[in-house]
Amino acid sequence: MFELQSVSFSVPGRTLLHPLDLKIPHGRMVGLIGHNGSGKSTLIKLLARQQLPASGQISLDDKPLSTWQNREFARHVAYLPQQLPPADNLTVRELVGFGRYPWHGALGRFGDQDRQQVQRALELTHTLDFAERLVDHLSGGERQRVWLAMLLAQNSRYLLLDEPTSALDIAHQVEVLALVKDLSAQLGLGVLVVLHDVNMAARYCDHLIALHQGRLLAQGSPAELMCSETLEDIYGIAMGVLPHPQGGSPISFVY
Amino acid sequence: MILHVINRRPAPLLIMLLIGAIALAASNLATHLPVDLWWQAISAPQDEQLDQLLVHYSWLPRMTMAWLCGATLALTGCVLQQALRNPLAEPATLGIASGAQLALSMATLWAPWLLVNGREWLALAGGGVALLLVFALAWRKAFSPLALILGGILVSLYFGAVNAGLMILHGQELGPLFIWGAGSLVQQDWQQVQFLLPRLLPALGILLLIRPLTLLGLEDSGARALGLSLNRSRLIALLLALWLSGCVVASVGMIGFIGLTAPSLCSMLGARRLRDRLLWSPLLGALLLWLTDLLVQRLEGFDGGFLPTGAATALVGAPLLIWLVQGLRLRGEAPRSSDNSTLPRHSSRTLLLGLALLLAATVLVALAFGAGPHGWTWSQGAMLDELLAWRAPRVLAAIGCGALLALAGCLIQRLTGNPLASPELLGISSGAAMGMLLALILLPAASNGALIGASTLGAVITFAALLALSRRDNFSPTQLLLVGIAVGALFDALLQILLANGDSRAQQMLNWMAGSTYRANEQTSWLLGVTLMLFGGLCLMLHRWLDILPLGEAATRGFGVSLRGSRLALLGLSALMTACATVVIGPLSFIGLLAPHLTRMLGLVRARAQLAGAILLGALVMVAADWLGRNVLYPYQMPAGLLAALIAGPYLMMQLWRR
Repeated sequence: MFELQSVSFSVPGRTLLHPLDLKIPHGRMVGLIGHNGSGKSTLIKLLARQQLPASGQISLDDKPLSTWQNREFARHVAYLPQQLPPADNLTVRELVGFGRYPWHGALGRFGDQDRQQVQRALELTHTLDFAERLVDHLSGGERQRVWLAMLLAQNSRYLLLDEPTSALDIAHQVEVLALVKDLSAQLGLGVLVVLHDVNMAARYCDHLIALHQGRLLAQGSPAELMCSETLEDIYGIAMGVLPHPQGGSPISFVY
Repeated sequence: MILHVINRRPAPLLIMLLIGAIALAASNLATHLPVDLWWQAISAPQDEQLDQLLVHYSWLPRMTMAWLCGATLALTGCVLQQALRNPLAEPATLGIASGAQLALSMATLWAPWLLVNGREWLALAGGGVALLLVFALAWRKAFSPLALILGGILVSLYFGAVNAGLMILHGQELGPLFIWGAGSLVQQDWQQVQFLLPRLLPALGILLLIRPLTLLGLEDSGARALGLSLNRSRLIALLLALWLSGCVVASVGMIGFIGLTAPSLCSMLGARRLRDRLLWSPLLGALLLWLTDLLVQRLEGFDGGFLPTGAATALVGAPLLIWLVQGLRLRGEAPRSSDNSTLPRHSSRTLLLGLALLLAATVLVALAFGAGPHGWTWSQGAMLDELLAWRAPRVLAAIGCGALLALAGCLIQRLTGNPLASPELLGISSGAAMGMLLALILLPAASNGALIGASTLGAVITFAALLALSRRDNFSPTQLLLVGIAVGALFDALLQILLANGDSRAQQMLNWMAGSTYRANEQTSWLLGVTLMLFGGLCLMLHRWLDILPLGEAATRGFGVSLRGSRLALLGLSALMTACATVVIGPLSFIGLLAPHLTRMLGLVRARAQLAGAILLGALVMVAADWLGRNVLYPYQMPAGLLAALIAGPYLMMQLWRR
């Protein structure tokens, strides 16, 4: 479990995250929503140790983040940046193999266990078919799944995903999020995912955390948050909610 | 009336500079001549008064030349920057100056009669060839600013290498050209002013070009929509700039940075429109060069000192350039290594084995086969044993240097995620060379160890500065290359000063710079061999970092790799390797760029395979270059580093052209 105690973050002249207390449970898919600049990305970067908080303390399993060893931490928490870096001339299998670094380290051998984990990750993400192709030649959705496979090969307990669907069309958004939800349930992973689209978040997440201007606005189940007042607070625009015609989570819309 | 439409914001600074310059000039003059004789010396010097003659025939024309050259260079820079829409264009960065210099060197050697009546045309032709080459290199990238500058660096370095080669073969004849090459403003009479002044008259044509040039600042489509014939105006502007800079180079040599700093300072001061910049930059350029020259005179007197002003402008201008380019972004995509073309991926084992066999064969040839007094011979038996004592250390040194530079290139490319980075282009080799040069100057009896230490320090400082300066922009190729240019210019300036002063260490330095394995003995070559084993082993051990780092900071951190730790380790390692190789083979060989690139093209993509391949290829090219250098011009010898550069240059230009 991630636990935040009055954690804040600021850049010169601006506070991006006001002191925040929060608990993020393990074994569920948690969505992080909010307007642009609400501090979603900042929060997930702090949890991933990509940035250090200005004040306060974050701990993972009752152990402050700063006391974790680099690789030890990477064996527990895997992070997917918002912009996927180019993987020049790497095949899918090679890239996914990099996910084993936290286990074998700089000098250790890439052994059978590592190979099995890579294979498993490829199977889980349905990327085995193009395992020998070059990453840069794949489509956006395929590439996103490959990077997910890399995170899975890391075999961590938590996945932190910063807008994994931002560059995808609607079909691929559904594909990736459904995959993540499946994996979370199947492997018992804790997933924290930043999402722009509140309907997608409501449909695939077990729990939603809403930020507004660097402060926690609300959190709860999708059903609890999907009401017009809360949504209006989050996004600052008048919104309404409709029931899904075939059951399932409610759908929001802009008036 | 014109003053109403001109932005006057740069005026205060200019007036301050002017007052400073006048005060400095007056105090300089006062040490030579009492004030009441000034007017007499200037207007009509008395024949028997040496002081007055000096002022009239040396001090005055020198001042005039400073004004003329400074203003012309600044104007040229301004026009080039506008016509190419590139804030970094100037005669030096586009290779024009180096082309002009090479043309003049070649003419001195093979067609001296051309120099008498048409230096400026020679310089024009050389500069024009260089510029055309740069344009050809940038052609496919639609003249994107970055591609232009990159082409300029490559062409400059290459022409510089050719020039250095000529210098080694014909040091005697070209000696005087050195002083000139460093941009000396020293004058003996009014001849040069009389030469330059009428040739600068075409500059007035720029007045007619103001409007078209202003429109050229827009995107091409926009300007075309306004009904402007783009290419013709651009061509005229370029020709004009070429002519003006050619004339300056032909009369005083290379003076860098004025064409770059004056226009950028003007726009920083608020001269936003082209019109304003065209007015203010020449004034500022003239003042800047005059001030620099006055300071130089202050240090050594005006009548024949040996601190060339061009070198001094580089000393001042290089740091200024680094400061100016902070946060500057060039339009144009960053070069990527893949370029969406699938590289062949072969079995790395077969490939590496093949390379190793090739290297072994080359080494064999280099050891046993060569031109001798009796023509080409394969040596055997006792004769081979005798020759081995001479040849083996050199071959071993070539292997060591080639492999070390190739490894350093791999590390740097992966560390910065930039396929065009290399110890040579980023100025790390120059940094190492500068460290060594300073050690030679400051510690007369420096041992080999001290020299290696000093050059390592130079390389580390340069690289650390590079990383610190370009971190904010995520190691954008622009920033890295620019800082590289600046460091290279600094080193050149120091070397020029040394050369121009006829320092005995200068020739030593020059030979060394060209990269000769001539002085390699058993001790150095074994030292290099051990270094290579040690560092090569370390690099191979760290191959995982090298695979992961190009994926970017976030991913690297995500894997639990300490960014600081890994970067520092690799940074130190590459600087050390560059320094070790540079001490033996000199700063210019392009191996650090060529070998990693070739290995990629061969399909060795993963870090470990690339490192191994680069070791083999780097060694291969260097041994081959050393062998060629020893034999092609027998009994003369060409240094291996220089030859490697001469071979690698065209290949790299081809690559750049094809991108």
